[in-house]
Amino acid sequence: MSAHIRASLLLLVATLVICCVLYPLVLWGIGQTVFHNKAEGSLIDKEGKPTDDPTRAVGSRLIGQPFTGDEYFQPRPSATTPAYNAAASGASNWAASNYRLRDRVARLLGPIVRYGRGAEKDGKKPGDLVAPDIEAWFQKGKYQGKPGIVKQWAEMHSGLAEDWVKSTGDAVKEQWNTKDPVEAFLAQWRKDLPELYAKWQAEKTAKAEPTAADLAGPFFAILSAAYPGYWPVVAEEKTPAGKTVKKLDRAKDGTDVQSAFFDMWRQEHPDVSLEQVPADMVMASGSGLDPHITLENARYQLKYRVADAQAEKLVKLHVERTIKAQGDAGQVDEAGRKKIEEQVRGKLDAQVGKPLAQKVREVLEALLNEKQEAPLGGLVGVPLVNVLEVNLAMNDRMQRLIDAGK
Amino acid sequence: MWRVWLFPLAVLGIAVALSLPAGRYLTWIMDGRYRPPGWLAWLERRFDTGPQNVRQYLLALLVFNTLMFVVAFGVLALQPWLPLNPDNKGMLGPTTIFHTAISFFTNNSLQHYAGEQHLSYFSQLGAIVWSMFLSGGVGLCALAAIIRGLRGDLHLGNFYLDLWRAVAYALLPASLIGALLFMAAGVPMTFEGVASATPRSGAESPDGEPAVAQRIARGPVAALVPVKNLASVGGGFFGANSAHPFENPTAATNFLTCLLILLFPCAVVVMFGRMLGRPRQALVIYVVMLALLAGMTGWAIYWDTLHPNPGLMAHAARTDVVVVATADGKTSGRPVALAAWADLPVNQSLGNLEGKELRFGTSGGSTFAAVTTAVACGSVNCMHDSLNPLAGLSPFVGMWVNCVFGGKGIGLINLLIFLVVGLFLTGLMVGRTPEYLGKKLEAREMKLAMIALLVHPVLILVPTGLFAARDWGTKATSNPAAHGFAQILYEFSSSSAGNGSGFEGLHDTWGFNDIDPDSPPAPYSQQWDIATGLVMILGRFLPILAAIALAAGLAAKQATPFTIGTLRTDTVTFGFVLLGTILLLGALLFLPAAVLGPVAEHLGPLPFGG
Repeated sequence: MSAHIRASLLLLVATLVICCVLYPLVLWGIGQTVFHNKAEGSLIDKEGKPTDDPTRAVGSRLIGQPFTGDEYFQPRPSATTPAYNAAASGASNWAASNYRLRDRVARLLGPIVRYGRGAEKDGKKPGDLVAPDIEAWFQKGKYQGKPGIVKQWAEMHSGLAEDWVKSTGDAVKEQWNTKDPVEAFLAQWRKDLPELYAKWQAEKTAKAEPTAADLAGPFFAILSAAYPGYWPVVAEEKTPAGKTVKKLDRAKDGTDVQSAFFDMWRQEHPDVSLEQVPADMVMASGSGLDPHITLENARYQLKYRVADAQAEKLVKLHVERTIKAQGDAGQVDEAGRKKIEEQVRGKLDAQVGKPLAQKVREVLEALLNEKQEAPLGGLVGVPLVNVLEVNLAMNDRMQRLIDAGK
Repeated sequence: MWRVWLFPLAVLGIAVALSLPAGRYLTWIMDGRYRPPGWLAWLERRFDTGPQNVRQYLLALLVFNTLMFVVAFGVLALQPWLPLNPDNKGMLGPTTIFHTAISFFTNNSLQHYAGEQHLSYFSQLGAIVWSMFLSGGVGLCALAAIIRGLRGDLHLGNFYLDLWRAVAYALLPASLIGALLFMAAGVPMTFEGVASATPRSGAESPDGEPAVAQRIARGPVAALVPVKNLASVGGGFFGANSAHPFENPTAATNFLTCLLILLFPCAVVVMFGRMLGRPRQALVIYVVMLALLAGMTGWAIYWDTLHPNPGLMAHAARTDVVVVATADGKTSGRPVALAAWADLPVNQSLGNLEGKELRFGTSGGSTFAAVTTAVACGSVNCMHDSLNPLAGLSPFVGMWVNCVFGGKGIGLINLLIFLVVGLFLTGLMVGRTPEYLGKKLEAREMKLAMIALLVHPVLILVPTGLFAARDWGTKATSNPAAHGFAQILYEFSSSSAGNGSGFEGLHDTWGFNDIDPDSPPAPYSQQWDIATGLVMILGRFLPILAAIALAAGLAAKQATPFTIGTLRTDTVTFGFVLLGTILLLGALLFLPAAVLGPVAEHLGPLPFGG
């Protein structure tokens, strides 16, 4: 036995020294000298160049970032909290049979989806947003011919309704000084929709300390009966003291309605032709940090959002400059600003020789083509673009477009 | 379309080609035919306690594994006081330490923690990387001992020397080469803590709040990534494992990862033939394994890459008939009408993209899922929980039969058990005492084989039943109905098979001992830690012990002469017998569970509930 223990201990020490000290040290030495930037995490600065100084870094070339502005290419949805949390990677882990997956996709689609080829037969123009029709349909307050659409939503999707109560509670819990989202939700409900709260109190059969699940059903049922065609939202308002507080409000339109009710709208309009959205716009990655989107997705974003938003940004910038150059920033009124904007637009269009948005689209189209890359040179996959790199390069291109206009 | 098949074909083809020289090399080192230089020879003599019989070999194996557990447990338990902890990771929960130590010394790597959130760099290197090297080596030693028994050696070799050879001459050089390639592609190798990068405007929240710095976790990743794949361990440096861009930054590293996963498990079959001196025996086994692997990979790609995610698709109205028991003990059908369901306008031409990374290419995720579970590795580059329901069967089957190349050494050991059972069945049919390699398989051998065979389904199905019947299981699942059951089933399949991948939505993380009220431990994480911990230990050592005992018993037997009536085990016919045995036994043992999980999910309404 002692021979066993002696040999075991010796082997243990030898392997610990080799595998845990020498081996990593050799790698570290090689990494720091030969692949220094990569070994430190492939950090890049705002020009997109490798940097080793974290304070100058805007991110890592390999890690995605949560761009949300309209004028930027946006990455895939991310399941980390918050999105693109590079200190805690993770995925949704939602199965195909999990309604939360379908709900996430539907919510992302609602505000952006457009009518597709062949929608004329339903009296719609291909390329038009569906969102206004979802709102109009929602305001009628009926689903499958029955009134109480919000109540039906909560009954069909009890899990989502419960999530809604929880996340609303989370959003307002700070202003109620509590850690319990249910408690915060109840307090907010009582304050902002007292008549509904009283109704719930009157018919209350539930326990003294209800859970989010206990609350979701009655809340939506009561709301649905009292305000047909309205959806509860968390809005912000300024107090007289200048503080921003959150309140429970109701809305009959807006992105919340478009998102939440797109799937139900679709169930009643199953045959209307809709333009398909690239899957990577709505499906989350495994790490929550995927730095890429498909080229197809980037072109879709460019066509419907990025080019126009960038052009607008450019116009705004020039307007500000013009006003500043006139030296009377404080005195320009709304009409004056409009006039300047008109002039700027005309000037810019003349400068680039075509409508500005079109020029921006061409410049960015060229950028995407230049920046596209495909896995193993295209042998195993479709062309992709790195969102962070493309956005950084886009800043540079737009800067050049501005400088050319000086 | 051709892109979808090019990747798996290239992976399998190149892995097979590499396995031939690698198998030759493994034979060379495990048979001790090399001549080490003086100082190395001196060191080897210190480990070599002399030839060991079966009892001594098993004792050595158990003594050393106990020490491994102690070291890993110690390193993890002392984390707050040890160096290389730039982000000040605190004390882990007691069951997390227990579970993680077991998980890595058993070569399993089931992770109920997230590396970048919970472990210091010292823990990653001292507990995780070290356990990876050693536990990978132990599997190879067990196989070498069994081969020596089968070829009738007088003793089984020396465990300590075997382990040294496996670690120092096989895993270490291969890891070193792999790590250099990974670093060249962008895998970090640093001891600096989390980097705080200030993002550009536009990455800020839309309501104009100031941009929050992106905190980017990094570390000595390149030291861990190659060995986790080579040693069939699979536990990642990061929570997202090989889906994380720092563990797997490009399509090329994804290809390399697949090769590293397959390299040694394929090579040991070649080693088996060469050490035995009977290459045809190994060839039959190799071809059977390869056929199964190709089938599983093709299945996963067909259902996951060539089919869209069904949750977003349209479904026609239909009426299902649910069978219900009536009061008088008979059954009757109750029709259940399902309304038609409209699709969402999503272009899913690239297959199911939920949980997939784009940079690996179209079939990079589904191929990886099949390979990593066949080979008991457990690295993941896509989230198995989000695979299409039937595609999820591929990982399940890989873990259930657990012999399609399987973990380094262990897979072949499991296959030999199936082979013995197959011989027994055919022996019954022709009315002869079955033989393998000239040795009679008798009552003692069959008892040991049945122990090794039945441990696996018992360890999977009994705890799955237990957890599925209690809050421990039903409150821990994150997906509805059949898929929730599949999550429980997967966790125990992965535990018993030494795999370590998961349907990771399962709530099983305790995390730090000081409870953070914003991310409290999962309510039943302790039950999960303890139950899967015990399953991992039993599922690892019982089959190894039984198989080594079986081989040693054969070694002591007189060889029977080869006659015209001997059932040959190196023919095409026997290949089909072996394939049939694996499929038949696997199906008999696990089909009911498969039907309740992935099959029910596929056939049931999608999505399920709300």
